[in-house]
Amino acid sequence: MALVLQIENLVKNYGKIKAVNELSLEIEEGCVFGLLGPNGSGKTTTLGVILDVIKKTSGNYSWFGKPSSSTSRKKIGAILEVPAFYPYLSARKNLKIVSKIKGFGSERIEEVLDQVGLFERGDDPYRTYSLGMKQRLAIGAALLSNPPVLILDEPTNGLDPQGIAEIRKLILDVAEQGKTILLASHILDEVQKVCSHFAVLKKGSKIYTGSVDEALNANKSIEVAAKNLDELHIALQEFTHILKLDEEKNMFNLILNGESTSYDLNAFLIEKGIVLTHLSERKGSLEQKFLKILEESDDQTI
Amino acid sequence: MIRLFEIEWLKLKNYKVFWILIGMYFLGLIIVLSSGMFLMQFLKNKGAEFQGIDPTIIPLYDFPDVWQNMTYIATFFKIILAFIVIISVTNEISYRTMRQNVIDGLSKWEFLKSKFVLILVLSAIATLFLFIEGIITGLIYSTVRYPGFIFSDLEFLAAYFLEVVTFLSLALLLSILLKRAGFAIVLIFMYTLIFEPILTINMLHNPWIKDYVSWMAPFFPIRALNNLIQVPFQRYVFMEIQDFIAWRDVLIVIVWLAIYQLSIFKVLDKRDI
Repeated sequence: MALVLQIENLVKNYGKIKAVNELSLEIEEGCVFGLLGPNGSGKTTTLGVILDVIKKTSGNYSWFGKPSSSTSRKKIGAILEVPAFYPYLSARKNLKIVSKIKGFGSERIEEVLDQVGLFERGDDPYRTYSLGMKQRLAIGAALLSNPPVLILDEPTNGLDPQGIAEIRKLILDVAEQGKTILLASHILDEVQKVCSHFAVLKKGSKIYTGSVDEALNANKSIEVAAKNLDELHIALQEFTHILKLDEEKNMFNLILNGESTSYDLNAFLIEKGIVLTHLSERKGSLEQKFLKILEESDDQTI
Repeated sequence: MIRLFEIEWLKLKNYKVFWILIGMYFLGLIIVLSSGMFLMQFLKNKGAEFQGIDPTIIPLYDFPDVWQNMTYIATFFKIILAFIVIISVTNEISYRTMRQNVIDGLSKWEFLKSKFVLILVLSAIATLFLFIEGIITGLIYSTVRYPGFIFSDLEFLAAYFLEVVTFLSLALLLSILLKRAGFAIVLIFMYTLIFEPILTINMLHNPWIKDYVSWMAPFFPIRALNNLIQVPFQRYVFMEIQDFIAWRDVLIVIVWLAIYQLSIFKVLDKRDI
């Protein structure tokens, strides 16, 4: 797969503060990449640098294998922080400016307005819009030139649950078309639902990168329950492949080591004469993984 | 170039403040430039006379004198055009649209170029307007109508164009530096009309210092602009005036223009937007 974006040892300092610290990242074509991190971890700064609006202190980045330029930016649809439009102009007129800058005709404006649900309000001035509408217009503007790459910085900020669900669906639809998406967010649930890969930033440094599925599988847990919980408890304690065992309301929640599966556990319990009334595998949440990653990095820095 | 102007036009054509300022500029100029003879009549009725001369026979609109008279008066109105530039640029900063424009695929330089195109177009329209206004009022009032006279001294229009382009470039620089419309407007207003005039008048006429510093005065940015087109009206009371454009003044202004342009590029190049 071709690399869409390559970042090498990127550094951005604001005086003494290291906003981005020796960051290296590669994003392949067609990948939906989540950039995670607490507030102030350098997500937006990183995006600002690779979009050429923030000057890097040192390091390199390239788009589509070439140094960044206004030509490469025309192939990227991006929103950074808050939506930015001319408040006295309508959505249609604002999008017309965007398409002029991108060097496209205005034929996709109506389509995009429809896609983000602003068709009816498209002639009202931008300043009359709610935060959610502004955010949707920003996403519409990013989609306007049908670019191969999308960069979305907190795209569901300020949206209501319905709006959040719509935007997620929009992102997944776009991803299905084979586009590359870079999504910065501190909402983990969002990244878990739409991203295939993710990286975690903390104080400007990358502390983790990997695929979302792997991260979730590594945290897989199993729930079991039987009629007699005490017997089950004793039996479970005899099963040697359990890393962690928690008692929950009417069931046990356990994490197996890599050597055995839920099949082995079930077979073991049947041998012991215990019939399960409940057996379920649970993928971990990215939230657990994320907190664990942050915790581990804390341990390392101490 | 045309694409950049189209982008700028899309931004401005539905912006009310832009049209109000443009309206103020042209309406103000039309009223002032067209009413010279009425003013003279008014002065006469009040019993004024200039060293025994009846004000109504002063040939304000005679070709080719009309060009210097008009361009001189018009230079006072250039501050309104500067407001347009300041508001257009500081808006882009406070709306964060300059940043979004760059993200969308404009380079920083293209963004600056689009603003410089705005400056050139405003200056060209203002100059063209003066030409038309001069021809019309001249044809109404002038006693001389030979084409040779009508079209002589047009260098005053060229000087006016240079003066406006330079002044608007200063406005662009201040907008980029200060980022806020109110701040930039107050500063350019105070500096142009109060600070620098008081300073240079002191340098030229204050008996304590003039021998040492008077040579510096023509190099000050606003003074240099004002020197391009000199006050023409003393000629009607038989005083000597400079009724031409001096190359030295043109050169000083061009150097300032270059300084403004370079500084604009430098400031924006270093800055995160």
